[in-house]
Order: sequence, then structure tokens, then C-alpha cells
Amino acid sequence: MPIYNPTIQTLEMSELKRYSGLTKCTEFPQHLLDHACTEAQIISKPKASWQIYDYDASSATIMSPEPLSLPPTVISKHLANSIKVAVIAVTIGPNLEELVSDYFSKNEYTLGLLLDAAGTTAVELAADQACELIKQEANKQGYTTLFRFSPGYGQWDIRVQPQILSLAHGDEINITVTSTCMLLPRKSITAVIGLTATVPNLPLKEMIEGSKCDQCQQINCLSRKD
Amino acid sequence: MIYIFDGAMGTMLQNAGLPPGYCPELWNQEQPAVITAIHKSYIDSGSDIIETNTFGANRIKLTHYGLEEKVALLNTAAVQAARAACGPATKIAGSVGPTGKLIVPLGDLSFDDAYNVFFEQISALDQAGVDMILIETIIDIQEMRAALLAAKAASKKPVICQMSFGADERTVTGTDPVTATIILEAMGADIIGVNCSLGPAQLLPIVEKIAQTTNCPISVQANAGMPSLINKQTVFPMQPEEMGHWAKKLVAAGARYVGGCCGTTPHHIKSIYQAVKHLSLSDLPTVQLAKKFTALTSRSKTIYLGADHPTVIIGERINPTGRKQLAADIASGQFISVKKEALSQIRAGAQLLDVNMGVPGIDQAKAMQYAIQELSMLVDVPLVIDTTDVNALEAGLKAYPGRALINSVSAEPERLESFLPLAKKYGAAILCLPISPAGVPKTAQDRLVVIQEIIHKAFEIGLKPGDFVLDALILTAAADARAGLEALATLKLYRQHLGYPTTMGLSNISFGLPRRDIINATFCAMALDAGLDAPILNPYDPLMQQTLAASALLLGNDPSGRSYSVNYAPTSQSEERAVPLTPKNIIEQIHLAIVSGEKEAVVPLVEQALREGHGSIEISEQALTTAMNKVGIAFGNGQCFLPQVLLAAESMRAAFLTIKKELPAHATTSLGTIILATVKGDIHDLGKNIVAALLENNGFTVIDLGKDISPEKIVEKALEHKADIVGLCALMTTTMPQIDHTIAALKAAGCSAQTIVGGAVLTQEYANQANADSYAANGVDAVTIAKNFMADKAQ
Repeated sequence: MPIYNPTIQTLEMSELKRYSGLTKCTEFPQHLLDHACTEAQIISKPKASWQIYDYDASSATIMSPEPLSLPPTVISKHLANSIKVAVIAVTIGPNLEELVSDYFSKNEYTLGLLLDAAGTTAVELAADQACELIKQEANKQGYTTLFRFSPGYGQWDIRVQPQILSLAHGDEINITVTSTCMLLPRKSITAVIGLTATVPNLPLKEMIEGSKCDQCQQINCLSRKD
Repeated sequence: MIYIFDGAMGTMLQNAGLPPGYCPELWNQEQPAVITAIHKSYIDSGSDIIETNTFGANRIKLTHYGLEEKVALLNTAAVQAARAACGPATKIAGSVGPTGKLIVPLGDLSFDDAYNVFFEQISALDQAGVDMILIETIIDIQEMRAALLAAKAASKKPVICQMSFGADERTVTGTDPVTATIILEAMGADIIGVNCSLGPAQLLPIVEKIAQTTNCPISVQANAGMPSLINKQTVFPMQPEEMGHWAKKLVAAGARYVGGCCGTTPHHIKSIYQAVKHLSLSDLPTVQLAKKFTALTSRSKTIYLGADHPTVIIGERINPTGRKQLAADIASGQFISVKKEALSQIRAGAQLLDVNMGVPGIDQAKAMQYAIQELSMLVDVPLVIDTTDVNALEAGLKAYPGRALINSVSAEPERLESFLPLAKKYGAAILCLPISPAGVPKTAQDRLVVIQEIIHKAFEIGLKPGDFVLDALILTAAADARAGLEALATLKLYRQHLGYPTTMGLSNISFGLPRRDIINATFCAMALDAGLDAPILNPYDPLMQQTLAASALLLGNDPSGRSYSVNYAPTSQSEERAVPLTPKNIIEQIHLAIVSGEKEAVVPLVEQALREGHGSIEISEQALTTAMNKVGIAFGNGQCFLPQVLLAAESMRAAFLTIKKELPAHATTSLGTIILATVKGDIHDLGKNIVAALLENNGFTVIDLGKDISPEKIVEKALEHKADIVGLCALMTTTMPQIDHTIAALKAAGCSAQTIVGGAVLTQEYANQANADSYAANGVDAVTIAKNFMADKAQ
């Protein structure tokens, strides 16, 4: 089971603005955005773990020691051509969310909100880096990797979260899951990445480059991409 | 001469019957004749150098098969099997592959453990008689550093270092070929190259970049094209003839050792042999090496210093001398201030960061190791290890996945004896300080003599011309009238006689004088003209920033003054901003400050309004409330965004607090009491906190129960506080039913409070079926709903 500690050397300002609902805002104090970025970079402790399993597309089953059947929803369609799957867990640790709470308790709401958004940006960046590692290793063997798909997206029932976290060995990087299927620390992600053959004429492009927002039912989300 | 390596081993073993999942290296012991036959087939195809079947024969990899105690045995058997195939001219390269783990801080394998694993394997290969060590397919420069150090310690034989790069020409851990080459050459790699991951077409530009960076021989072993997965088998498509075609291009680009990696066979090697073996080196194009320079690197970035390059700013702020807070941060092991200084200095223009952990009474080696590890994860600029403690220096150099600058090496014997070998071992550059056992030389000429002595000693140890940065040494102008002049003269002498890049700690010149910033910036401009390449300075100093920008323009490092203009020309946006908004009176000014979210500005305005006799009710109603209403409407219309609403709320709060402070008797009337909670099982509270902030700053009394709150607790508090409204939040589908339970419990308990529900997954429809009185899509909506409800209630 690989363990990787991603680096958070730069946070995309456009992503921070998106997650804080500022995408269309033309004037906002830059120093507040910079401050949130700096704090997120300093206190994040990004970690990722993952495991690669065989995948039986015909039965939509992850062939882990205890096989996990996936429901006949978007996730199984997404993995319809996959031969293997990487199950991944990523976190930036609990420090950031504690600081967000501190800011709110000190009535510094704006910094609290921006730091929360910076935390989301950071954990997504960490996940991107871990996925890149998986992708390059998979590419060496001729596999193409699909974009990561998380429990809760695209009508994939969030109640699968404990099994997915377990398959990713999330406990090794101190991620736990509540009885209501929420990840702790909150700035954590689990996902499944399909590994498929590079076969022409498959509708891979949209699977490789697909937008997660397209799969999400939260049409009023402030962070939704147009 | 062009040397031909062999091709893939794994595929050949599979073809020879190696069962799937079986340890390939175990066949060195069990099936040596098969291994020898594979080597023979490559030799027969033209290989000058064959690679032992030991790619995974390290302790960590062998543990997967329970063979960790057979490291020496399997490596020795591999060399014997290879030797059995060799002709008189064939050389054997001992193959050393990655451990499969990432090194701290990217992974969980310590540098020392990695070193020991490599040392064990390479010792076995060396003792078994390989002709060279081949460290290959490495994706983490820190793992390559550990392996190279181990190879240098375990063997006197040549070491080949081959990294693996992705299609973006970086290793997956971020290192580009130029940076890798600089690091590895400085650490003593004999041959530098690249293998695996990509086909020859993709490796060609990487070989070109390596060739432009080093005089070391270059090796390349490409895969047979980019693989595909066919019938669940990895298939490499490139045919032998095409491989030969690309081999010519690789040799023309500068490679002198050419072979194959995954998917290549004896046929591919034969094709390569036929294409390049008999090429005459004199007929090949000469690769133009970049000019001599001193280069420093992080894991992912190279910075050049010298007269042919723009001025490089070395940030001096990570130094606890005279800075109690920073010293305490380091001593406590927090390193929060250290990291903030790193990021802030880079934002202010620093391209190298000096790192000094000189806090009395702490374990400086431990602190330096931690600081270097943490900073290497946080920033991509190269680091300068600033210490007088040899243990701290080695700890920092070992931990750093790049080529650092050592600050500093003087001509004092103990410094020369202890620091120079470490510079050589870890491939660091040295900052040479002209201080001798006799003290600080007064004149520029004497400083030149001392510096030449340091350089002489460094050459004896094995350092090279690209390893030096010369300090001109600045004394305090207040104490020595010639301090500035001698430093400037020293810079000129260095350039005239040596030509290596130069540095100085600029702020020493102004010690003890007022307005040090003026002196520092003025002296900086003079020094840049005299040949200063990399000043050590405080990058936050605005006067210094201006001086550096202007100097870059005047010294020809900012063509057309583009960068200067970008920074200092008035922009159209700032011109627009310069147009003053002219509120008619103080109430309008407060209103505007709230709308703009100017928290600091609003306080003096409220104080002024109160002094001018405006009443608290007038300020509240005509300035504050109308401003928040305006912000709320703008938010609803999509003209204003949530962080701006929160800034306005913070400003509103600052205004209220000011009124209360100035008029303690002033009592604001609460619009109503609201209980807020995130429901049981739900641990998200950001949205709820935002709603609480907005309600509170709109005049409601908010009792925020927090997150993961049971229905019973919410009922109890609603009754206890006679709540007008209960606001409930849920973020997940799994916790949404708790909204229903809580509302049912409130009604069952006879609570008459209005219920407002919200949260990411909630909808108006869900609110209806849960019997909620209202649904709020966001915090601003919640305020509007609460206000309307209280207004209706009052009627």
C-alpha cells in the first residue's frame, strides 16, 4: 500500500476563489486571499494512501479480499471499461479546520470562509498529485487512468464510504469515518480511479477529462463550474 | 566511442517461463543458465555492457517474497551469471532499481534506511565484480541521492544515474532533467541519463536538455515506444528498425551510452547497434554547453548565479538572531513562523532562502533537518544552509533534495577541514567568506588572497569552478569609514581575477545608523554596479525592492523595462480607484465603509459620528442596517458574493462594538432569539457558522449550539431560551433525516418557534415534507426570512 505526502507549494487562486464563491467577483482584498493561502500551506499536513485492485466490469465488482459490488449507477458506468481500480484516500489533516473554527469564534468570518476554501483547494491539489503518481505508474503498464470518482458524487450512495476508506487503507493516514459516513478530518477525500486499456473508439475523452461538477446534483453550489 | 547497453530483462524472463508473481532475481540462484543465456543473446546482438538481473534485488523489494536475507546471495549469483556470458570486452553494470517507497518527507522511508538498503545491495554487486553501478528508473531525486551516496561509499567503480521522467519532462515528484543533472553531477555521478517510462521520441528532448547542462557522458535506455494494454497484456509497439532510427537521433543529441528498457529485445539492441555503434564521434554535432555558472537547485527548480544572469535575491529573514518570536517558534518545534517567513519572502521576490537555526540551547542538527525537510515541501526555491555547526550542516545537506549553498566557508582551518568534505559529498556549493585565522582582512586585496586560499583548498578536495559564491564581506560603515569602499573594491577584484558569482549580507553596512533602509538600498545599487550577483537582504524593504527593480533595468537585466513598468506604472485599475467616492456626510461614509467591508475604516468613522452628535439609533438604522440590507440585496442579485457579505458583517460588528464602547449605556434591542444547530451525526458547521454570523450582525440574539446536536438538546435549549426561531442545518443525505426528527421533537414538546432549515443537500421540497416552516438557500436568505417572521410576529 503506497503512502505519499503531497506538497502544497502553490494554491491556485482561481480555485480558492471558486470554492469561496468569488469566481465572478472582480474586486476583493488580495491580502485576505494571500493570507488564507499562506495559512493553508503552512498548516496542511497532506497525506495520501491507495491500493490497486482488479476490477470485474461485468459484475461491477472491486476484487478486493472482500469483493465490493458497485451499484448500477453512474459509478459502474464510469468504470464499465476498467480492468483495475485504484482506491485512494487523501487528507490534509485536522489543523486547518480547527483554525477555521478559531476564526469564526473570533468573529473573523471572512478569513474563516477563505481558509476553509483554501483547505478544499489544498486537499484537491493533494489528491491531484497522488492521482498523477497512480497515473504514471499505470501508464507504464499501458493503462489509461480515468478521473477520480468519489462516494456521494453522481448518485453514488455515500454510505459506501466506510468500505471505500477501508480499501484505500485510509486508517494508515489517520482518516476515520463517522456513523453518518462523513470523513474525519473533514478536509479528506476518498475516490476510485479506473484503470482501462488504451483502446480506440471508447468514449474515454470525457471520462478522462470529465468535470466532477457535471456529476453533482448540487446545482446551486457556489463552487459549481459553469 | 558509442557504448551499447542491453535491453529488457523482465520480458525475456517471462518468455523463458518465469511464472507470474515469481521473484525474477531468485532465478539468479535457481536458473543461472537461463540468465546467462539472456545476457548472451544481448551480447550477440551487440551489447558492450550488460545489466545484472538485480533490478529488484534490494532488501525492501525482496521482502515481498520473503527473500530479504538473500540480498548478497542473489546479487552475487546475478554477477556470476552475467560474467559467464561475457566476452573479453563485455562490461557488467550492476543494476540497482528503486526501493518502491518514497523517501521522507514525500514518503515514509527514512533517508538513512534507504541509504543502508542501497549500500547493502551495491556492496554485494561490487564485491561480486561488476564493472560499474547502474542506478536506474528512479522517480524521486532524494532516493537517487541516497543511492548515489551509498554507491560512492560502497564502491570505487563508475556510477551511472538514470532517472525516469514523465511526458511533462519531469519526474512524478517534480524534478526536471536539468535540475536532476546539476544535483547528480555535483554529487559525483560519472554518467547521467534517463530510462524507462517513455519511448525514444519522448526521451529525445530530455537527452538534449541533459547534454546542454553537463560534460558528463549521457546514457539513455528508452522503452520500445508507449505501451498499450492488449488482452490484459502490456504491449510495447516500437519495432527494432524504428528503435535504431531513434538511437541515431539520441546519439546526435549527446547520448554516448544507448540501450533499451521495457519492451526491447535483442532484435532492438541489434538495430541500435547497427545504427550507432560505428558512428564517428567527430561526425556528430557538437552539443553547445551552457556557459559556466554556479547553479543551485531545489527538488524542482534551478537558479543560476553569475554575471550572465539577473540579480538573485537571497532572503535573510529565517534567522533567529535578535528575533525572539522566531527563536521561540524554532525552539518549540512549531516552525510556523519559519514557514511564514519562507512564503512571505518568496512573495516579496526572494529567489533563494537563507536558513539559520542558530537558537542557543537547542539541538541545531535536529532543527536544521526538520526545517529543511519542511521547507523543501513548502517552497520550490533553493535553500542556503546557514550554520557554523558541522552536525547541523550535514543534517541539512542530507535532508535537502536539491543542491544547496553552504553559508559559509572561511579560511579558518577547522571550517575548511569540516565543511569542504561535506560540500563535496552532498554536492553543495559554498559561500566563501574572506576570514582567515588572522581575522578579517581590511583591504580588498587581502580579501582576494584569503578567498583564493579557500578556493585552492576546495579544489584539492575536488570541488569545481561552478561550486563557488564569493562574499565580499561588509563591515559597519559607522565603525569603519572605508567599509563600503573596500567591499565594493573587493567585488571588483573578485570579478576581475576570479569571475565566480558574488554575494554580501547588505544590511551589515548600516548597523547602528538611523534610516538603515536608505543606506542599505543605496549601497545595494552601488554594489550591483560593482559586480554583486546575489545580495542577501530583507526582501520586504520597499525601498530595496524599488532599488532592485530600477537596477535590473539599468544593468540590462530587464529588457525594455518591462518588469519595472509592470510594477511601477500606474494601472488603469488604480486610476479608476483613485477617483474618490464622495459621500455627502459621515452617515453615508459609514454606510459606504460597511458595504465595502472596510472593517478598520469604519471604527474611526463611527467614533467621529458620535463625536459630531449623531445618535446610536441614527447610526444603526441609517448607516449600518441600510448598508447590510443593501449588501443582502446585492447578494440576492448576484452582484455581491459571500465573502464580501461576511466582510460587511465584520465591519458591522466593529461598528456596533464601537458604539457600545463609546456609549456603554446604549442597549441595542434584539430582533429575536434564534437557536442554531447542525443536526445529530453531522459534523459540518461552516455554513451554520456563516448563518450565525449574519444573524448576529443583523441584530438577532443567536444561541449557537454547535454541530452534531441531538433533537433532545435542541428542544431543551429552544424551550429554555424561549426561542423565536430554530435554525437547523444538515449537509449530508445521511444526516438529513435528523432534520425531520428534530422538527417532530420540537412540535411534540410544544415548542412554538419557527423552524428554518438549510444546508447543501436540503431543498424546498425536503423542507416541506419535513414540516419545516421555511427553507433558506443561504445565510442572506436566512436573515431575510427571520426578519420577515419577526416583523409578522410583532403585528
